[in-house]
Amino acid sequence: MKSPNKYINLLLTIVVSMLIGAVIMLMLGYNPLEAYFQLFKGAFVGKLNLGTTLQKFVPLLLTSMAFVISSRVGIFNVGVEGELYLGALAAAWVGFTFTGLPAPVHIVFCFAFAMLVGAAWASIPGALKAQWGVNEVCVTILMNYVAMFITSYLVNGPFSAKTGVPQTPAVAAGVKLTQFMRPSQAHTGLFIAIAAVIFIYWLMSRSTLGYKFTSAGLNPLHAQYVGIDPKKTMIRAMMLSGAVGGMAGCIEVLGVYGYFLDNFSSGIAFDGMLAALIVKSDIKTVPFMAFFLAVLKSGALGMERYTGVSKAIVDTIIAVFIIFATMEALFTFKKKHKAKKEASAVTGKEDQQGGLNNGF
Amino acid sequence: MDFSSIFDYTLIYATIRAATPILFAALAAVITQQADIINIGTEGIMLTGAFTAVCVSYFTGSWVLALLAAMIAGVVMAMIMATAHIKYKADICAIGTAINIFALAITKFGIKQFLGTSGSFTNPRIIAIPKIHISIFDSNKYLNGLLNNWSLMEIFGIVMVFMITFMLYRTVWGLRLRSVGRFPMAAKTAGINVNRMKYQVMVISGILGGMAGAHLSIGYSQMFTENMTNGRGFMGVAAMFFGSANPMLAWIGCLLFGLTDSIGGRLQAYGWPSQFVLMMPYIITIFVLTVSLWRKSVREAKIKSSLLTEQL
Repeated sequence: MKSPNKYINLLLTIVVSMLIGAVIMLMLGYNPLEAYFQLFKGAFVGKLNLGTTLQKFVPLLLTSMAFVISSRVGIFNVGVEGELYLGALAAAWVGFTFTGLPAPVHIVFCFAFAMLVGAAWASIPGALKAQWGVNEVCVTILMNYVAMFITSYLVNGPFSAKTGVPQTPAVAAGVKLTQFMRPSQAHTGLFIAIAAVIFIYWLMSRSTLGYKFTSAGLNPLHAQYVGIDPKKTMIRAMMLSGAVGGMAGCIEVLGVYGYFLDNFSSGIAFDGMLAALIVKSDIKTVPFMAFFLAVLKSGALGMERYTGVSKAIVDTIIAVFIIFATMEALFTFKKKHKAKKEASAVTGKEDQQGGLNNGF
Repeated sequence: MDFSSIFDYTLIYATIRAATPILFAALAAVITQQADIINIGTEGIMLTGAFTAVCVSYFTGSWVLALLAAMIAGVVMAMIMATAHIKYKADICAIGTAINIFALAITKFGIKQFLGTSGSFTNPRIIAIPKIHISIFDSNKYLNGLLNNWSLMEIFGIVMVFMITFMLYRTVWGLRLRSVGRFPMAAKTAGINVNRMKYQVMVISGILGGMAGAHLSIGYSQMFTENMTNGRGFMGVAAMFFGSANPMLAWIGCLLFGLTDSIGGRLQAYGWPSQFVLMMPYIITIFVLTVSLWRKSVREAKIKSSLLTEQL
């Protein structure tokens, strides 16, 4: 989706959704300027606020990347949440079981196992989609519930710390990531995540694997013609996406909590997916959008505290934002209409790939 | 453990009771799928409907108004989706997901703003959709268990299955709709306004989704909870896939979900790990989805084997 006015569209979308939010606030009798001021103050001013923003940014960044990777092969992966949960539990399990290992080996082991579990979980919808065209949106959504129930069972049963709270025992002190901005919970996982994202960017845009992903996503027939197995590529992309999701869970456990807590995520991965959706899975802008959402999320608390505007209104603004952002042709002006139409005729086809397979 | 107390005659009504919210969602998905729109937003439509129904029922004390309002709310949500998808070329999965998130956010906001609480809202002033009680059946244990105290919507749901089947397969409108779904270009050539057709089914889908939500919040229960649909909309979509967009078969799918749900609830009472029981409907849905598409691919492979063109 390479259109020259992509960034202008994005900016317009942000402005329009902020305006809609402001109108809603005005109608409810709040001062929107004050609310937005408090929102940004709550996100940036002070060590605690900035740290919280950074802490929220890490999982958003990784989960949005996970979504972007799968969308490269045309898979709409809603299942990052499940991958995150299972990855988190896997990391916690390694963290509190193999306590004898030297710390560096132990950390690597935690990450490796979490990513492995995430990849294995994500390969299921990938394989179903590749083999029979089972709608991945449906399968991944349903699998999220299954993953949540599995972790909930394990954390209440076999892996329970037996403290009355559904959580695992704490991981070994050596594997915990350093929190560098006390009193906030910002931790060194931030740098791991950024490094991972740079690596993914390289992988997607410069490596053979990335080329395979893109060509299988854009035109599976052509991919097959040049000797790329589109089905295998699809599954591989899903596995990579799942590994990144698992990594996000691992970082959350090792960096923020130190143990696995039942239902800890409350939709982190969905927010990550939103970040990706807003910028239409453009790999260059996704990190910035993830950061913007982290700002909104962490600033919302301050806004609620100082102005009384409900935190839910921020969610509403984000949702409005996404609705506008998904509309391809919204801010296209009449002059450019013709050119855009041709462009969307090409891209539209690839978008509908999944839909056509399921048409009856 | 006593199996006869799990599998007894009361299971029949329990199944129907559990299946009805999914049934309306499934019908909402069926009707759009016939026009080749996969309605992921059913979940959000349903949630908005549920919230509107509780609100209106609480403030006006009328379940009729509540039901109507829920339907209108559903249509509004569906129209946002339809406009975005049809006019502004939004990817249907993306806009569907966006609608779900929007519904979640706006109901979370609304519960705080209009009902003054957060998380969950229940109040004796919420007037429920009436249940039908026939006093002649009271004397007989089996008749009472099977046929009494059906919610109005549970009966209406079954009526809707037949109505929609009739609409789809026995009317001109249904024929046109199916042609739009099968081959929009041919439908256009035949003089059918494809976009208008798509808007029409989205409106119907909104009405059905709104009803599903209203039934959930003021029929099935008498409360509203944050994210109370809890995947039921998606299960409706899955039931639609199960029945390959045929209302009758989708109904069977819904009953299957209802059955696992009610057996699950009963097993839970015997101290089985509840998580395994609760995940069953989801796993079964994935399984059913897979099997139905696997069968479809086998069938298509058979049809295509006589043709020379190979399609991916």
